[in-house]
Amino acid sequence: MVSTAPVRAPARKPADTGLGERAMGRIFLAPSFAFMAVIALFPVFYAIGKSLYDIRGLRQEFIGFDNYARALTDSGFFNAVGNTFVFTVSSVSLEFVIGMVFALIMHQVFVGRGLTRAVILVPWVVPTAVAAQVWRYMFDHNPGFVNAVLGADINWLRDPAWSMVGIISADVWKTAPFVALLLLAGLQTIPEDYYEAAKVDGANALQRFWGITLPLLRPSIVVALLFRTVDALRMFDFAYVFAGHSNSLATLSVYAQRFLVAEPQLGYANALSTVTFVIVMLVGLAFISRMGRHMVGDVAPRKEKG
Amino acid sequence: MVLGLALATACGEPPGEDTEGSEGEGESADLAEDPQFIWAVTGADRQIHEDVARLWNENNPDQEVDIFFLAPTADEQRQAMFQDLQSQAGEFDVLGLDVIWTGEFADFGYVESLEDMRSEVEDVSLEGAIDSAQWQQELFALPYSSNGAFLYYRTDLIDEPPTTWDELYETGMEAAEEEDISAFVGQGDQYEGFVVSYLEKYWSAGGELFDEAQENSTFLEGDAAETALDFMIEGQESGFFAEGYDSMVEDDARALFQAGEAVYMRNWPYAIPLLEGEEGEESEVAGDFAVAPLPTFTGEGTTSALGGLNNAVSSLSENQDLAREFVLWAATDPEAQQILLDHSLPPTMLDLYDEADDPDFEMLGDILADAQARPPVPGYNSLSLEIQENLHPAFLGQEDPEAALEAVNDAAENALEQE
Repeated sequence: MVSTAPVRAPARKPADTGLGERAMGRIFLAPSFAFMAVIALFPVFYAIGKSLYDIRGLRQEFIGFDNYARALTDSGFFNAVGNTFVFTVSSVSLEFVIGMVFALIMHQVFVGRGLTRAVILVPWVVPTAVAAQVWRYMFDHNPGFVNAVLGADINWLRDPAWSMVGIISADVWKTAPFVALLLLAGLQTIPEDYYEAAKVDGANALQRFWGITLPLLRPSIVVALLFRTVDALRMFDFAYVFAGHSNSLATLSVYAQRFLVAEPQLGYANALSTVTFVIVMLVGLAFISRMGRHMVGDVAPRKEKG
Repeated sequence: MVLGLALATACGEPPGEDTEGSEGEGESADLAEDPQFIWAVTGADRQIHEDVARLWNENNPDQEVDIFFLAPTADEQRQAMFQDLQSQAGEFDVLGLDVIWTGEFADFGYVESLEDMRSEVEDVSLEGAIDSAQWQQELFALPYSSNGAFLYYRTDLIDEPPTTWDELYETGMEAAEEEDISAFVGQGDQYEGFVVSYLEKYWSAGGELFDEAQENSTFLEGDAAETALDFMIEGQESGFFAEGYDSMVEDDARALFQAGEAVYMRNWPYAIPLLEGEEGEESEVAGDFAVAPLPTFTGEGTTSALGGLNNAVSSLSENQDLAREFVLWAATDPEAQQILLDHSLPPTMLDLYDEADDPDFEMLGDILADAQARPPVPGYNSLSLEIQENLHPAFLGQEDPEAALEAVNDAAENALEQE
């Protein structure tokens, strides 16, 4: 959790207790910590514990790290890792570029700006499972909307390469607005003065973008990329709706769900979700430590730059 | 709820009569004031199951049953029952199991053996339905409902239904070309329905997945596996299968056939009233279609995969005696089984088919008598996924057919070993 801001004890010390400020703080924190422990930590550790068992129905047997060893020799698992990374890298890069363009456009002053900002967010509001159904229908041969529009004859759903292109485009359609929203919020915090000063110094639009917008937008960019990457690594809906458990699109989440539901081997499913959890966490940490160390410190980034 | 929509395409069972109003999934039917036991059953065709339960309650006012409706899709039903059993909650006493789950539930220790009731259903229920309810020659469930495939054909384009797959292919291609429509629609997406479509061709070429004792895979014995796959590959290459067949499920096929876009269709009986234009449906083919049994490669006999539900007794039930009584009653009581028939859900009691006055239903009785149960081995779902994973790309020409069949054979061996 990032939000562990120090709790300040009340300015006035309670007169009739012998507790110090620190102890009071702990007491006030205790309920929320207990709450977090029950709903967040317990399931995680429970799942990790169960991943050490071979579970067949009502019987279970402790097998140590065999489930993890199995994952390392399972071609289906590596296929899922590959799919997940291809999907994540492609969709996040595209969403970032397109989102940035959207944000820059929406930041301009023009007639109908408010309406544009509202409309552009529509795809993001649609629940992913519903969006996935609709896209699947549009990509389907019958009635073949996408092929008709493109004048193409592509097997979008069952050609492995094209179906990956399909879910990436659907995801970009859906989440580029979200990235745009985050970046737009960042853009609005950059004072106009900087741009005016740069203009006086004769900087052109590209230089202003490169020298002012990008550096000052960095915190928003890190947040947007972090959210999107972590989200994309967990992606389930599009892959499952488009191709079920088929290896052609199976991501880590789909693959883990396969052993939870379709081929119930709960121990292995837990091992796979633990691995997914670790991968997502490592990528998240890498982001924070490399690109935005100042984001998690308690010093505001702007002040650092002085 | 939303995921329910997503999953609706992910199972091999035909859409039920009233799945659209599936808002009732995961809820109790409130049929009894003081229910003594709970029957967990699919939320598809819920009216039928409710009527059956009401009949029981009328006859047994002291031992009333209540229904817990599961989601209409197979995957979700299985998941809900797993959750009840795996978490030791034991809310459900009677479990309505899809015909392919018997081995898995038996192997997991979820359901009680019903072997001692075999004599009560033998020669009373469809043989295939009994086969589907046993694992290693032990009965773990009793038949309740059934389902089989029809070959739907256009009577305005085809005079006599074909008796061999080759004849089906040729007549279909010819009529399709003349009319500028598709020759064949059916279940071709990569899911359980594809497995069924493949197995029906495999069986009709004389194939058998396992030996009698369910100890060894005999998938590659003879040339049935190859014959079936070759037919499908050739059909795909030559355009015998409609555009988009490779992502088509039951209702996609039904919609195309209903719009007059296909000569032949493989589908479950549920499509008949819709194609007739009943229930407010618009149909281009009303009065211009008929049903026949699926053909074979030799022209002898017929073949169909068997669908349907069997009822089992949960090993966690605290009311097992009552649950057993109910399961037996649902399988063998003529009145209960008649309710299924009245709602065009194929029952499993043989007698009812002899007495039926609807020729389509009589034909269905003949089809079901010869229908094959998909082997309900514990690893059936793994096997099914491997068949999908290997044969579907091979069917589309993306993978080598021979290697794909080898992989399925390995998976069939593995499906037996999962204990």
